[in-house]
Formats: sequence, C-alpha cells, structure tokens
Amino acid sequence: MAQLFPRWANVAARAILLALLCLVVGVPLGLMAWVRSPNVTSLGAPVSQPVPFDHVVHAHDLQINCEYCHATVMRTAQASLPSTQTCMPCHSDTWRKSAAFAPVRVSLARGTPVQWNRVNALPDFVYFNHSIHVAKGVGCETCHGRIDQMHQVRQAQPLTMGWCVSCHRDPTPILRPVDQVTTMGWRPPVSQAVLGKQLLVMNHVKAPTDCTTCHR
Amino acid sequence: MTDYAALFTSAQEMDEVSRRSFLKLLGASMALAGVDGCTRMPAEKILQYVEQPPEVTPGVASHYATAFSMDGYATGLVVDSHEGRPTKIEGNPLHPASLGASTAQQQASLLQLYDPDRGRRIVQDGRASSWDAWAAEWTPSVARSRVGSRGEGLHLLLEPTSSPTVASLLDKLRGMYPGMGVYFYSPAGPATMPGGASLAQYDLSAADVIVCFDADPLATGPMSLAYARQFADGRRHPATRMNRLYVAEPAYTCTGMAADDRLRCRPAVVQGLLERVYASVSHGGASGAGAVSSGFGDGADAWLTNVLADIESHRGRVVVIAGDRLGPQGQALAAAINGAIGATGSLVWTTPSPLLGAGDAGSNLAKLKEALDANAVSSLVCIGGNAVYRSPGSLRLGDGIRRVAHSTYVGLHADETSQASHWYVPLAHYLESWGDARAYDGTLSVVQPLVQPLFGARQEVEVLSALAGEAAADPFTVVRSNWQSAGHAASDDAWSEVLRKGVLEGSAYPRGASGRSDSVASAVGRTGGPGLRPVEDHPDGIDVIFAADARVHDGRFSNTAWLQELPDPITKLTWGNAGLLSPATARRLGVATGDVVAIERAGGSMRIPVIVSPGHADNVLALSFGYGRAGAESVARGIGANAYEIWPAVGTFVATDATVRSAGAHRQLAITQSHWSMDARDPAQSLSLAEYQRKTPAPARKRQLSLYQPDAPNGVAAQQWAMTIDLGNCIGCSACVVACQAENNIPVVGPDDVRKSREMHWLRIDRYLDGAENDPAVSLQPMLCQQCEKAPCEYVCPVGAATHSADGLNEMVYNRCVGTRFCSNNCPYKVRRFNWFDYNAELAETERMAKNPDVTVRERGVMEKCTFCVQRIREAEISSQVDGRALRGSEVVTACAQACPTRAIVFGSLTDPGSEVVTSRADARAYQVLEELGTEPRVQYLARIRNARAAEEQA
Repeated sequence: MAQLFPRWANVAARAILLALLCLVVGVPLGLMAWVRSPNVTSLGAPVSQPVPFDHVVHAHDLQINCEYCHATVMRTAQASLPSTQTCMPCHSDTWRKSAAFAPVRVSLARGTPVQWNRVNALPDFVYFNHSIHVAKGVGCETCHGRIDQMHQVRQAQPLTMGWCVSCHRDPTPILRPVDQVTTMGWRPPVSQAVLGKQLLVMNHVKAPTDCTTCHR
Repeated sequence: MTDYAALFTSAQEMDEVSRRSFLKLLGASMALAGVDGCTRMPAEKILQYVEQPPEVTPGVASHYATAFSMDGYATGLVVDSHEGRPTKIEGNPLHPASLGASTAQQQASLLQLYDPDRGRRIVQDGRASSWDAWAAEWTPSVARSRVGSRGEGLHLLLEPTSSPTVASLLDKLRGMYPGMGVYFYSPAGPATMPGGASLAQYDLSAADVIVCFDADPLATGPMSLAYARQFADGRRHPATRMNRLYVAEPAYTCTGMAADDRLRCRPAVVQGLLERVYASVSHGGASGAGAVSSGFGDGADAWLTNVLADIESHRGRVVVIAGDRLGPQGQALAAAINGAIGATGSLVWTTPSPLLGAGDAGSNLAKLKEALDANAVSSLVCIGGNAVYRSPGSLRLGDGIRRVAHSTYVGLHADETSQASHWYVPLAHYLESWGDARAYDGTLSVVQPLVQPLFGARQEVEVLSALAGEAAADPFTVVRSNWQSAGHAASDDAWSEVLRKGVLEGSAYPRGASGRSDSVASAVGRTGGPGLRPVEDHPDGIDVIFAADARVHDGRFSNTAWLQELPDPITKLTWGNAGLLSPATARRLGVATGDVVAIERAGGSMRIPVIVSPGHADNVLALSFGYGRAGAESVARGIGANAYEIWPAVGTFVATDATVRSAGAHRQLAITQSHWSMDARDPAQSLSLAEYQRKTPAPARKRQLSLYQPDAPNGVAAQQWAMTIDLGNCIGCSACVVACQAENNIPVVGPDDVRKSREMHWLRIDRYLDGAENDPAVSLQPMLCQQCEKAPCEYVCPVGAATHSADGLNEMVYNRCVGTRFCSNNCPYKVRRFNWFDYNAELAETERMAKNPDVTVRERGVMEKCTFCVQRIREAEISSQVDGRALRGSEVVTACAQACPTRAIVFGSLTDPGSEVVTSRADARAYQVLEELGTEPRVQYLARIRNARAAEEQA
C-alpha cells in the first residue's frame, strides 16, 4: 500500500504542533501585555480640552500653587476641579474676550459647567483618596508627572493596580517632605534611600496593602 | 420546612429552551465571555461647579437635621447629603423621640423620596394641568362662590399633624371660612382615639417591672425608639440590674418577643386581666401571696399571680401600659392602676397632645363621612393620607368623595384617593419640604428640605397658603415668619441653632399628673374596649384583630421596595401580608401555612393566605393593614390582601363577628426563614437570671489547635475591629436590616427571587422558637458576616477574592470575584449573598441617586457580604491620619449599630481597652456562634437573659 502521507507531512505536523503551542502560550501573554500597554492604560496621550488651559503658563510661568485650583486635595478624596468662578479673579481682565476663553464665558453666563475631559481615570470600584497621600508626603509630581511642563495634560503613570501596589509595598523611594508635595522637579537634598526611611517613620506612613484599602 | 421543589424552578424554566439551542448559546457566550472584559474605559467628563457653594465639598457628605412625621408625631433625623443628594438617614441624638436611633421606616423613607412612581404632574380629571390653573380654581375669591358665605361647603382632610405652621394656616383659613370643616385622619395613629387630649408618657429605664396589655411600646408608636432604649438600659448589665417585662397579647409583637413572661390570650381576656389587676390594686393593694384565679384558665392564672406579686413587691417601680386596641377605657384603667401603685409622677406622667384637633370629636373622619352623606360638601381638599384606601371598606369613602363637585387630592402618589378626586396635585416628600412638627412630648423641630422637589411637587404649606389666596407664598418664609410671630427662635442666630441641632431646646411640654382617672368608673365593665366581646359570648368564634403592618405601616410605604422586602419581625414574611393563626386554630380550620382563608363579615369579605404562628392566641386571626391596594403603584401592585375591606370601624381594632373558613387555595409565601427551630444547635443562646448569676465568666478561651496559618499575613494593625451583639436587647425591630441596605447599596430582588432564597440582605435577623408550640421561648439573632479570624470562605476562593486584612476584616473583593460561590458553600453562618442577576440594571435614574457613593454597586455574578461598613472604617482612619491624631476604635459606628434603638449592637476595636466591645467580651454571657468549628469569629454574642419570676422562685 502506498504511503498515505508524503514525507513533508512529518515536518508539517511538527510545525503545526509548535504553532499551537505558541498560540496557547502566546495569546494569553499577548493579551496580558496588551492590557498593560499605553493603548489600554491611556498612558501618555495628551487629552484635548474645551478650553486650551495651559499648565505650563499657570503652574510654571506664573507659579500658581496646585492648591489654588485643586482646592480640596489636602482635605478630601478628590483633588477636585476649580469652579468657573475660580478663573475670574485673573480672567475678568486677561484673555476675557478671546475665542479660546468662550466656554468659560458661556459657563459663567448660563450657569452651566465647562465640560472638561477626564485625564486620570480609575475604575469605579477603586476608592483613591488624595488627602491621605498628600498628608503622608506623596508629591503631585509622583503620580501626575511634570504637570508644569505639559501644555496639554496627559496621564503620566499607568495607574494600574500593580503600579499602585509597588509603592504601597515600599513607599520609601517616592516619599518627600510634606511641605514639598506640590513642588515640581523636587530633588532630595540627601540620598532618597536615607530620607525615605526617615520620612516613613516621621510621617507614620503605613501604606497598607489590604484589599479594602482601595476596594470597598 | 424547605420546599425544595420551589428552589429548582429555574431548572424547569430551562426546559423551554431546546438542548441544541442551549448549547449554541453556551458556545456563543463562551466565545464572547472574554471579549466582554477587553473594553477600554469609557471617556468621562468632569463637570465642576460654576460657583462653588461654600457648604459643599465634593466627595464629602454634609449632614442636615430635619424631622420625620408619622401619624402626626415627629422624630428628629440627621440626613447625609452627597453634593445635594440625600443618601442616608440617621437618628438625631438630640431629639427625644430618636436618641440617635431610627426605625426601619425612617431609613426607608429615603427610597420613598426617589420613588419613580411618585406623582409628577398636576392633573384635572385625567388631563395635565398646572399649578396656576389649580390655584385659580381654589383661590378664595373663586372658591367662596361655591362654599357658602361662611365656607360651610369647604372641607379639609389632613393627616394628623402637630405642625404649628399648619395650625396657623388653618386658623387663617378659618378666619376666611368660619364654617369650614377640618378633619384629621390616619388609621393607625392614636389620633383616631377620641378624648386623646393628653398623652401618657413613661420612663421605662427606672422601672423594675413593665406590664404590657396588648401594647407594643418598644417597636410601634411615636416614642418606640426612646422606650426601646429605656427598656434596654434597664437590662444592659443583668449582673447589677435587670428589669422584668410582662406581656399579655393575642399575637406576637416585638415587645412580646422580648418579654420575660408572655401570655397569649384573646383580646377580651387582655381586657379582663387589666380589669382584674385594677380591681386588685384599687382595693388596698395586690394580694401578694397565694395564687389568683382569673377565670381565664391556668395560664392566665399563673401570669396574673406573677404580675400581682411583682406589683406588690416592686411598688413604685412598676409601669402598666395598655395598648391602643383596648381603647380609651383601657388607657384609663392603666392610668388608674399606675396611680394606685405609685408609678404616676415618677414613671408615668401626661403631657398635652401636640396634635391639632386632639380630643375634638368634630375632627374625626366619621364627621366628614356624615357631611359627605348629607351632600354638604361642595369642595374637598385632601392632603396626604390616601384616605380612600386607608379607611374601612364599609365606609365607602371613595364613593362619597366622587360625589363632591370640587375635590382635590394632594399626595405623594396618584393613588386610590386621587382616582376619586377631580384634581390631583403631587405632594412634596418631607425631605423636599419646609415645615415644622412636634414630637410626642411636644419638642418642636423644623422640617428642613435636603433637596428641591424632584418631580415639581408642592409642599403642604404651599397648598394651604394657596387655599388662603397666596399661591406664590414661599414655604420657607411662611414657616420662618410663623416661628417669629410665635416667639420661637425669633433671632436669626437662634433659628440657625434650631436648624443645626434639629430641635428647639426646652420646647417639650411640661409634665402633668396622670389624667383620665375620672373616667375609670365608667370604664370598668364587661364590654371593655371598642369591638370587644366577652369570650363566653362566643367561645369558638374567631376574633379578627387589626394592626398597622410592621413594615409598610398603614400602606404609606407600600411602594417602598426596601420595606416590602424586609422580613416581618415575627413571621419573616416578605412581599405581602398574611393572616396569623395559632397551630390549634389552624388545625381546627384545616389550613396550613400558605393556605388561603376566606373571612366574611357583614361589612365585607376578603381572602388571605395564613401563617401558622406558634405562640399565637387560639381563636384569633391577626391581620395587618397596608397591602392589597386596588390603585397601587408598580412596586405595591398585586402584593398582599386588603384588611381595610373588613375593618369594622375607625378606632376599633377587633372584629368578633367574622366567619373564617378555608378557601381551598394555596399560595407560596415569600418567607425568608423556613426553619423556626434551632434543632439543638443552639446558635442563639439564652439562660435564666439565676443561672447567669451562678455562672462565672468563662476562663480566657484556649486557642484551639489549628492547621491554619498562625497570623494575619500583613502583620497586625493598630485597630482590630470587632462587634458584640446583645441578644437580650434585640427586639427584632429590623431597623438595622434597612440601615445596612441603605448604607451598602444592597439591591432588592423581588418576591420571586425571595422564594428562591436569593434575598441580598447582608444582615438578617434569625428568629427561633423553642419549646412548646403554644408557649415557645423566642430567640432573635441578628446574623451577619462573623468576620472570622480563621475564615472558611477565604481558603476556598480560587481567585483570592476573599482575603483577610491586617485589622481583622474578612474582605470581599468584588472586582476579583468570578462567582464560583465556593465561599458561600463553605460559610457555616450562611451570610454570603450572590448576585444572580444585575439587580441594579433596571433602577430608575432617581433610584440610582439613593446609592451611597462610597460603596461599590455590585454586578451580576459577584459574591457579597457584610464588610463591617469598611467604607466608614477607612474614612475614619484617613481623616484621623490627615489630622495627625490617633484613631479611637469607638469613633467608627457601623450602620446597623447606629440605627439600633436598644444599642444591642456594639462596634469597636479590640485594641481600645475599656471600650464597650472589649468589656462585653469579659461578660459570662459572651459566646461565639458555632465556636466548636474554630473559626474564631470577630462577632460575639451575649446570651439572652430570661428573667421570669417563675424561674426566680425555683432558684
């Protein structure tokens, strides 16, 4: 009886088996890599806003403190966006008539809010609290990056759970004195390894990793 | 007995799908299951304030004091508001009728605010109309032409009210229409009783013996929260002080379940016993020694003997309370007894009734009915109360109202009464209204709104002002100026103080001596209270007794799903009412639980399924109001049977002329607890006072040998959270259950899913009956996640969704859960709940607003359970850390503990020495449920002490 399969069938069978193995291992690996990719975490993409608000001008050039607009960051879970009225002490004069400023004018005139686009989003089952992080010496810059160098704000860190937990397991590399949290481009005066350990004790930093720390 | 067939109906439902199509669907859903998770987070907008209100901090709840009124009496509340959206109701600690606690109904009134079925527009004869059109028809210049020169054709029907502002508006209207008729009506309120111009009040905390004659002071009535606290204070530390509670009643009440010595008897026997106690004490003192013959059988003899002996030996420290069912005669007798035994003045006193028209027989519903029958009503305005549904069916109030040429109903919902009226105007909820109200003791509170009327509804003050010709009156101005002219909180500072505290200090009425003893002579007689008939007249006849429902009250909460799904404290029935029968009577009638009986009276008939209730009096059928509404909204539609149909008369809560027979039908009731017996496992322990006094605290428990890991993985945190529940002080009122539901966004599943045991309550109250079926010992046990230190659930979760925190919490991580339900299977306490469906998917936009933003709303396929209100723990931790101070364990209060009127639930940290949760663990009563399993629960219970006199004598 003639051979049912030609000789190259052996090679083909092996290649197919190998391909299947690659598929079984590769697809999950690929998916795991994909969910961590900037495409999913929205990392780094500048977000356009209805008003071309420029943090470089406000935070860097004019040196306005973060807290002037994000007023509740020290006291509550949310840093919060400023009310339209917050713009007005300066902008009742400056840029008042420009087209770029129109959404703010409309908001003020009609009493409707400006619709800002969210840059840093967490899932609804995550309860992040700004006040405790700031009180323990986590700088704005640590999570939000050099806001003072962003014309359009973008997400500076992946904001994945792994990224959160890495600090909660060992916060020493990122701790800074509490009076320096809003400073952009802060450099530790001594070695961060030494300072971080000191601050950990001084500020009673706990950084718990219990699930209910964030998930409630 | 569990009906297993019912649990598997879902398998039958599947038969409708063929096997082939099922496999197709299975394949498709398998293929798509993964894709579901691969979505990018939706782009979100952030909307900020245009002008930041100074009192609002985004993400932080503010708290406002207001007052909730039921049947005219106020209870002070503190309401949480998130960015202007009320999310949780708590009691106001400064208010005498709350003392910081709240009832299930007060908790659930939040959901009523957001009820999407509430009336949304003004309607005239089925056509949409407007406020201006309504006001034009009812303004004095127009109305005067049809109501006569003195206004005798104008009649107002209000719910009982104690509001000084409403009183002044009514005075103003009387100035314009001197002949106007004003009536106050609610079926279950004490206002229905004539001659109620003065009210008896009690101090139960100082009483050694409390004797209740068909009264439920601990769980019904305007002062129930205060009385429950006082009662509990008298037995919080049984080693030093323990009061004794006697109850004689036909059907179990919460007070009856808490009783040390309870007698089940027919209503006429209750009256007879009351008269015998009066006869005994009024003739130079109770005969302390020797047995007494009551003439009502052995059980009653023993009960009466004990009561009289205790009255004799505790003179001056005994309170006697008679319930509403006994009528004014019974109240008078109780007052006379209290006077004779020296309770009056110290333990019992009276205050004037704060209700408008109290004691005025001319403001009764019967008078309105007379006027309607005489065609003397040309214009009728009903504000709230849905009187057409909530009045005796034989009264045919709806027919009377239909004949009125100009009628308006102002109510929360377009209901039975609006269907009988020409006009319907939506009424604002109390959380949307300005107003004022007095508590039972006269304490004055402001009702302040938390939110603008959601559905364009009108406030009571607005409606009354419009009738007086001021349709554009601002309710706030009306209330404020009325307070100013009455001299209450005249200055702006004083007003702010009242708004802040929720009460006007010092406004309680002065105490008077106990009144009504003058009428005692006429009260003692064979007939007793309204509707009562001596037992010997109809020994085998069935007394049908009526009461407001423990959940939906008189029907006002029938469209509030939290209360519909709340298990009844006695029967654990949800979604409906049932007739309660004793086992012997049920056997005589040939019915079992779920069988339908037909009840017929001269005035009407009804059919209702029964529940056989051990400990219920023989020959008594107990019904509750509030169900079976003909014009019901979507939640209440088709639920239960209407007891108003056969209700004999307002103020009469017993019918002795009814015939009851089996109707041959059966309904599957949605009862959450099918086993009423502990089957010798003894999860809810109890012991007599003598046993307790002999018992020494258990030696420090030796840790059992364990194969589990020795310590929490994250090391030990500063706080170790724990809870103690005192079973001796749990009266079963179920406020904790609804408080938990409101705090933790717990969904409602509906009657069909309750029948399949899918209810979602994180906290349930188990009820056990031990001993003889006619005289069982009741044990109530709030059961929630025990937060085991060695939690069986944690070891079986394949995805690590059940974990343990360093501060002793048994955590449930929703976003990890894949729904294997292994944890629930392995939980010995059966406290884990599974989301079989997305119960939140179909919530209306307004109902979503009731959700607590600090708690995740769970999805389908996720397990959930009690978290010890971890959101409150973490919030307290964070705020103390931000302030740079140490957290005290007692700072955190869980929702259940906060609502509990008796403070039976204590929460705190085991690392906080001297705190209640720590000291309670040294009590000899302390035990862990299913301790032998070695789960080391963080919830401990204190065994109930039963302080019956019989046990004392034996000891």
